[in-house]
Amino acid sequence: MKKKIILFLVILAAALDARLNVVTTTTVIYDIVRQVGGEHVSVDYICRGDQDPHFLEILPSYMLKIRKADLMFQNGLGLELWAQKLIDGSRNADLKLVDLSNNISKKGIPTGKIDASQGDIHPFGNPHYWLDPENIRIMATDIMHELSLQDPDNRSYFQSNYDRFIAAIEQKMKTWHAQTVGIKDKQFIVYHDTWIYFAERFGFKVAGYVEPKPGIPPTPSHNAELIRLISNNDIPMIIMENYYSDSSPNQISEATGIKIVKVPIYVYGLENVHTYIDLMDEIISRITAGE
Amino acid sequence: MGLRMIQRIILFGFMLNISAWSQTTVNPDISLIGRFETFTNNVKDSPEYGKLNFGTPGFELLVEGYLNPYARARATLAYEEEFDPEELYAEVLRGLPLNLQIKAGKYLVGFGKLNTFHPHTWPFIARPLSHQIFFGQEGFNDIGLDLSYMLPIEEMYSSITLGIYRGEAIANTLVSDEIQLTETRGNVPIWIGRWSNFVSLSDYKSLEVGLSASSGVYARRPVNESGDSTLAGENKPLNYLYTGLDIKYKFVPDIYTAFTIQAEGLINYRDVPRSGDPGIHMPKEMVTSITTVGLFISTDYTFNRQFSIGAKYDYTYGIIGDTPSFTTLANDDQNTTQGLYAWIGYYPVEESLVLRLELEHLMFDYENGISRRPETTATLQLIFSLGPHKAHPF
Repeated sequence: MKKKIILFLVILAAALDARLNVVTTTTVIYDIVRQVGGEHVSVDYICRGDQDPHFLEILPSYMLKIRKADLMFQNGLGLELWAQKLIDGSRNADLKLVDLSNNISKKGIPTGKIDASQGDIHPFGNPHYWLDPENIRIMATDIMHELSLQDPDNRSYFQSNYDRFIAAIEQKMKTWHAQTVGIKDKQFIVYHDTWIYFAERFGFKVAGYVEPKPGIPPTPSHNAELIRLISNNDIPMIIMENYYSDSSPNQISEATGIKIVKVPIYVYGLENVHTYIDLMDEIISRITAGE
Repeated sequence: MGLRMIQRIILFGFMLNISAWSQTTVNPDISLIGRFETFTNNVKDSPEYGKLNFGTPGFELLVEGYLNPYARARATLAYEEEFDPEELYAEVLRGLPLNLQIKAGKYLVGFGKLNTFHPHTWPFIARPLSHQIFFGQEGFNDIGLDLSYMLPIEEMYSSITLGIYRGEAIANTLVSDEIQLTETRGNVPIWIGRWSNFVSLSDYKSLEVGLSASSGVYARRPVNESGDSTLAGENKPLNYLYTGLDIKYKFVPDIYTAFTIQAEGLINYRDVPRSGDPGIHMPKEMVTSITTVGLFISTDYTFNRQFSIGAKYDYTYGIIGDTPSFTTLANDDQNTTQGLYAWIGYYPVEESLVLRLELEHLMFDYENGISRRPETTATLQLIFSLGPHKAHPF
């Protein structure tokens, strides 16, 4: 009898859990939803912070996460080419998919004829916009509006969380700008075409890429080109995402003495990175320490 | 290639062109998978012995997209010495009661894991021997429909699929003179069921286990149990039952490395006509049951994202020949074939271009003592993928 009562209570608790069920494609979006949604939102993510979302394998376990979701937030701009297959596999007919790139001012939109000879390019713009904290405000605004639309009873709660989150970001922006004064107008090599938004916000220049073209693995001839470029210019650092192999950067570093700075670019990309603010702190401290 | 087929292809291309011109925002995805192979072997009696042989290039033209918010459709036109509408199906993905999914048309049916994937997505070149024997050279591809239900389990992905099919794969295969399958099998559908279970063991490890079954009438024939040739035999259905187990384990520690073990086994129970005791004019015929099996186990290791090496062991009842037959070879409960395979693959940029070198070593075992030398074949394969058809489910 006791077991039956407990089972009944568990089922009742589940039925009464009126929280919005949200799934996000990345851990950065996950953190924003968590900050804004608070206790009124149950949120989970698909792609781990130490994974490259460009190459996520389509696993049925991800479909399970989406199966009962009310909302799914995605980064968009072709970062999550797997998302639609996961949604199809989840069979969730009531899911609302929200693309957070809609109100972002896009950079890196290719011009002219687009084809695979240019590598893994994103026709609608570079998708790594979360690395500019000013874009976090736009993402958080969209998330707050969507959560309020789905759960109007908690609109003021979401608004209050949003205000607190944005205030924290604005406060941090002053620190981050102060920290990055030293990298302004400096030239760096980057691994992938990830840094266009970050570089513009904090004022450094991308002199070259370890990948010969976006998504194309490094080649010896391209490494040789980079070695010549670094030798002829004052380029102090290679910035690379911490999930990439450092084999080519190491070869370039051995030939030129250039420093390699590995950084996470997603929340949970390192053990100590639990929030977006942690993430930007980590990126900026590593880059400024390496300059 | 017939004139009619050429006309159809031109019409098909014209329709695509019209579609691209008039509906630029709702175009389906169009992909072309090209395949080219060159090979040599050590089979002294064969014309390919010791030579570098060039196979006819093949391709698959895929057109797929959403029909509406609830359904998708796909057409695959394959060419390998002749054109073949390999797949043409629509599937309702959501919006049905109980979150059922329906798939209908012509497609690779869900018996086992590997059969549902096109060969260009496999890490190896040669179709498993048991698939050649029990499914045919083109895989278990049939016309029909299935219903799929996802079990309401939180901890793992578990789905049950039940389908009914025309029996096309059976009906299209060769008929053996020996067993005189002179009657058509008739308009009797076959059914196929699969229970698939996927669980993430950790962030980096996953396991999928599936159980499959298929049953139906694979042929009909007159069976003369009297041994009196003046009497007509009774037309009897010959039934088959396949049961299968498939397992796939994958370990992906980072974006550059993956280790996969995949195995499938199949047990085949079926009625076969055989000769019995002597009769008045001829041996009495009878229908008896046989049980045969087939299995493969493969392992593949991907490193530096661009390279893969692997090995496969195959075992099956039946002797692999030039024209494997679903009907006749699956009835061979006397002889067996084993295969050993090793391969290396090079993927310069994801799946857009693939180069594979595979060694195949076949060993034959005949019940009646026939001696046949093992056969070794080396195949070099190039696959290219043009268009968006790249991402594949686990």
